[in-house]
Amino acid sequence: MRRILIPVAAALGLLLAAAAPSPEASAARDGGVSDDASLDALLAVDCIDDTAAAIAQAAARLPQEGGVASDSWPPNAIGGVIQPIRSVSDPFPTFDGIALDTENGRVIFSDENRHSLLVYDRTAGGASNDVTEPLQWVFGPKTKLGYIAGVEVDPARKEFYTVNNDSGDLLTVFRYEDHGNVQPRRSLLLPHQSWDVSLAPKRDEIVVTVQQSNALNFYKRAATGTTAPLRTIRGLATELEDPHGVFFDEVHGEIVTANHGNWTQIRPYSPYDPQTTEVGEYKSGAFHPSAITFHAADATGDVPPLRTIEGDLSGLNWPMGIDVDLVRDEIAVANYGDSSVRIFRRGDKGNVQPVRVVRGALTQIVGPVSVAIDVKNDELWVANYGDHTAVVFPRTASGNVRPKRVIRNAPKDTPTCGFTNASAAAYDSKRDEILVPN
Amino acid sequence: MFARSANGNVAPKRVIEGQATNLSRTMHGIAYDAIHDEIVIPVALSGAVLVFKADASGEVPPLRAIQGTRTRLVRPHTVAVDPVNNEILTADPSSRAIFVFDRMANGNVAAKRVISGPKTGLLDIVGLDVDPIRNVIVASSRKGNGDKVGLFVFDRLANGDVEPKQFIGGPNSKLAHFRQVAIDPATGNIFLAQQNTRMKQMEAYVLDQPREAFKAKQTDDEDDDSDEGRLDQMGFIAVYAPDDNGDIPPRGIIKGPGIRMAGAAGVALNPKKKEIITVGGNGFQTFLLPEFFRALKKPGSVTPQ
Repeated sequence: MRRILIPVAAALGLLLAAAAPSPEASAARDGGVSDDASLDALLAVDCIDDTAAAIAQAAARLPQEGGVASDSWPPNAIGGVIQPIRSVSDPFPTFDGIALDTENGRVIFSDENRHSLLVYDRTAGGASNDVTEPLQWVFGPKTKLGYIAGVEVDPARKEFYTVNNDSGDLLTVFRYEDHGNVQPRRSLLLPHQSWDVSLAPKRDEIVVTVQQSNALNFYKRAATGTTAPLRTIRGLATELEDPHGVFFDEVHGEIVTANHGNWTQIRPYSPYDPQTTEVGEYKSGAFHPSAITFHAADATGDVPPLRTIEGDLSGLNWPMGIDVDLVRDEIAVANYGDSSVRIFRRGDKGNVQPVRVVRGALTQIVGPVSVAIDVKNDELWVANYGDHTAVVFPRTASGNVRPKRVIRNAPKDTPTCGFTNASAAAYDSKRDEILVPN
Repeated sequence: MFARSANGNVAPKRVIEGQATNLSRTMHGIAYDAIHDEIVIPVALSGAVLVFKADASGEVPPLRAIQGTRTRLVRPHTVAVDPVNNEILTADPSSRAIFVFDRMANGNVAAKRVISGPKTGLLDIVGLDVDPIRNVIVASSRKGNGDKVGLFVFDRLANGDVEPKQFIGGPNSKLAHFRQVAIDPATGNIFLAQQNTRMKQMEAYVLDQPREAFKAKQTDDEDDDSDEGRLDQMGFIAVYAPDDNGDIPPRGIIKGPGIRMAGAAGVALNPKKKEIITVGGNGFQTFLLPEFFRALKKPGSVTPQ
């Protein structure tokens, strides 16, 4: 337990260590950042690492260095270093992506809330209400982990990959011995809003989904830096629409992708691009149903899918992570919108019902973001974003059934705010509520 | 949606989400219309602006959706609502424009007015609010070369390629990587959430190819929104008087670890309770500052403006 708490406590500790109000601030107020009991418990842990100490020392020098932390800036302004009267945040990790390595007995999760990667033994979890101890926790500024989403694992090389969906635009790669605040072994720059990654070991390629450009980008497995994609599947004909989870099916030569259905034309938008850029005929945005698309693994450009699962019968609703069971010839998808896992036949096409649905209060599936199928041990893994858990079922589980075991990244019944890089707010004066889009 | 009094690690009271809502998991703006009790949301990934009943919960469809070829929307990032003049405003960094729609617009409809063009100076527009009392629109916009990075104030009825009537930005302002704007309707005071004082980092890609001018050394930088170890460049909430103009520092500021923790990407106001809500970094915080809801003194002066 202590090993889990140390990095979080160090990070929060440094925030509070730097929180001493300036004596010259004109409006500094008393009051803690939070009165949350679990947060206090974390801060009570007697630990601090070298990075936290270095940052605290830097903070102490800042008033002399003339940055915005200086008491003299802005001159004669009201306000200053102010303590909030209330603060809402979740100090615990939240599971997002999942990758399973049955050869080496590990499972890797991405944590979008605290920006970390957690590695567990494959048999971890159970019926306990306590936090499950990870084998490794990659966490800290050196890791370059931001709002990470998809995860992939390479059992042969004992490496795991994750994608920064926001803040950093990087694919980062770590090894099994990596733990703590460590630099990635290598990194590859990706388009902004890349979400998931899937490895094709025989081809030695990876495929990455890109939400904002509605694209699949392919790279050599070991690509680094600013290496350009080998090829891209992108365009209106592709039916890629806000793509999320992806699986590179080398056996059948297909790319399987989960799509939310949002579509808009990407045009340069950044502050580094010209005011007007010619990108051809204007095409307006559109809402489409959620869908699973299948493209030929060698496809490139604006090509239609080989087939698509889409329609009311499918029940697809913000489908996120996806995995393929090559033995049973099935696809499992984390259906975030109705807190279910839906299993389809791999060859399904059109408006079809899933062959099984795992859903209901007993399942403890809440806002699932990813799934993994363990063919070797006959299990189905689900990572919940709406709860601090991952749940494991028999591979053919169906209906409202209890999981075999539960992996917890926070004590049972710990709430979560559900944020994924929230960046705006409004105040509802009628209901006395704070509105936050995600 | 959270209770105003929420504190600590709490779950939202209610959530609007799911396929039928036409929302996505990428939304960077929100506005509440207190007169008509509606919520307005831009959906960047489907080129749309949606309007919901303010008491909506769960998987419910929007009341209205502005989307289609006549709208010219590409990637709407931020929104504001003018309940007095019955208008919805949205800013689109891809279109490099501020669009003004009728509040009841629904479907494939053209904007009533569009502020866009070289004279406007607008580029990466990430924040927007409207003051129907002083008849101004305030937008925050960023430009990579450092020129015209700041707050742009336009006449509320401005249309076409027009110059802003006021501009706040420049080295003394320390404005660089900011987002949401909020205006206190009683005083006209302008609040801006700044994530940090580094210019937003250049993205490696344009469309589906790596950017030609991208410098490899930037790959070693920390992530764009992270500010670990950079307290001297940390973000803040800046407050300006309604007639402020030029390269000036804020008249009011909230800074320090509380803001650093949140990253200060968003800002919202509760004028009745004199509270300022900041959001960012997977959390939000509330500050109690009555003096920020009064007429502000000019920096260096002792009398209110």
